[in-house]
Amino acid sequence: MGTLTDPIKNKGLAVFEDLPDSRLITQLNSCVHCGLCAETCIYYLATGDERMIPARKVDLVASIYRRYHTVAGKLFPAIVKARDLDDDTAGEMVDLLYGACTMCGRCNAHCSIGIDIGFVIRTGRTMLSNMGMVPATLQSTVDAALVSGNNMSIPKEEFIDTLKWMEEELVDELNDPQAVIPLDQPGKRVLYTLNPREPKFFPLSIAAMAKIFYAAGESWTLSTRMYDVTNYAYFSGNINEASVIANRLWDEMSALKTQALVLAECGHGSAAFRWESPNYLHQKFPFEVMTSVEWIARYLRQGKIKLDPSRIKETVTLHDPCNLVRNGGIIHEQRYILRQCVENFVEMNPCGSDNYCCGGGGGQLAMSEYNERRIKIAGIKADQIRKTGAKIVVTPCHNCVDQISQINFHYKLNVQIKTIAEIVADALILP
Amino acid sequence: MATIEIEGRVLEVDGDGFLADPSVWDENLAAAIARFDGIQELTEKHWSIVRIIRNNWLEKGMAPMIRVICQQTGLKLREIYELFPLGPARGACRVAGLPKPDGCV
Repeated sequence: MGTLTDPIKNKGLAVFEDLPDSRLITQLNSCVHCGLCAETCIYYLATGDERMIPARKVDLVASIYRRYHTVAGKLFPAIVKARDLDDDTAGEMVDLLYGACTMCGRCNAHCSIGIDIGFVIRTGRTMLSNMGMVPATLQSTVDAALVSGNNMSIPKEEFIDTLKWMEEELVDELNDPQAVIPLDQPGKRVLYTLNPREPKFFPLSIAAMAKIFYAAGESWTLSTRMYDVTNYAYFSGNINEASVIANRLWDEMSALKTQALVLAECGHGSAAFRWESPNYLHQKFPFEVMTSVEWIARYLRQGKIKLDPSRIKETVTLHDPCNLVRNGGIIHEQRYILRQCVENFVEMNPCGSDNYCCGGGGGQLAMSEYNERRIKIAGIKADQIRKTGAKIVVTPCHNCVDQISQINFHYKLNVQIKTIAEIVADALILP
Repeated sequence: MATIEIEGRVLEVDGDGFLADPSVWDENLAAAIARFDGIQELTEKHWSIVRIIRNNWLEKGMAPMIRVICQQTGLKLREIYELFPLGPARGACRVAGLPKPDGCV
């Protein structure tokens, strides 16, 4: 007798009911088992474990659908490989859909018939989330955001103290009392967001972006109520919680009457907010939304900021965050910026929309139980970086920064890791 | 749950090597965890950071902001990053025996 009671099981199976369209069912019925996806997946490439082939993960979800929603699956489950949703199946789903997928979408891009594999994985995660089976380590980050307003539970006064501290440093460095970090100011053009790891542990990227806004003469503000760009419920698969978190940024935009929301360098945060939240919330944006990478590129095109590439002598390479690049289509802007920032820029191979994931996506950084796997699959990224010969790796995603920092230590790469804002600030010619 | 063995003691840790029970921490464990991270000997600068993190944890139940560490030790941000190559969270907080902080760290 398993522990999955019928009411719990039914919550999981609800993802197959009352569907608004045929999108999910089409994806579940379409795999032709050609096997092309195998060689695209960093988990399969690094481990050779066939269970980790993307098509196998799709089939895991599809086999449950077949069991409960097709005649053959109901009558002859063994013949059509339909599976009961029981303890074994659910345990395997947790291990493979949470523990062996960074939701990087590389399999999607190579699928011979265009199945949205990432969407099927997310649906599988939603099933598990409905059944209360999100790994506790991942859920803890979601809960922190829901309860405290940011995913690291930073108290408001400590957040403010940190920004005041950064502002003092900036005023000193630029020798201008106008070099401020505005807080909660209504009616500005831009509301900027942060990844909580910036104020908590890595605030140099905040100072870097403030310096860029200063140089561009931007009218901007941060909010002390809602500044968190992340949305870990996008990873856990709980759409209700993802909606609550996304909705807070919408509310803050209207509370502060700001025209444009600029998202900090965060792959999944950009995906969850810019590309998913209109679906969660069933409405169009009444304001402009852009990633800071695009926003900085726009400053360069408009001549609002100027860069001196001769300051950075080292060879620089770029890591493409999956959510921003493959899934979001922001491919050229970071290259346009970097070519004006540094003299010696080299690409990884492969790069752009075919780049390998750093191994930290999909919530992997939060899930300690899969740490060993996460470091193992990152060997692919370590090799890629090493082959470029670069001394600086730039990446527009704080999650990738953290994963690459660990790769750097573990695989002894001896590189520096920077965000786009940080390297732009290094090259910035001040007015 | 994974375990590590330090000086004959078998201790439970999470998958990232953070102590499962922060209360078992002592200075010998801190030195041993630091050696896993390639820090052969904790200097006075390392200890000043570790003590602030530890005290903040005992008083407030969370890791301190990096601002607090900088201002109380007088160390520059970049020095802290150099002292703990795995960073303030996976490096310093782990040495100080805290659970892994939530978020992208």
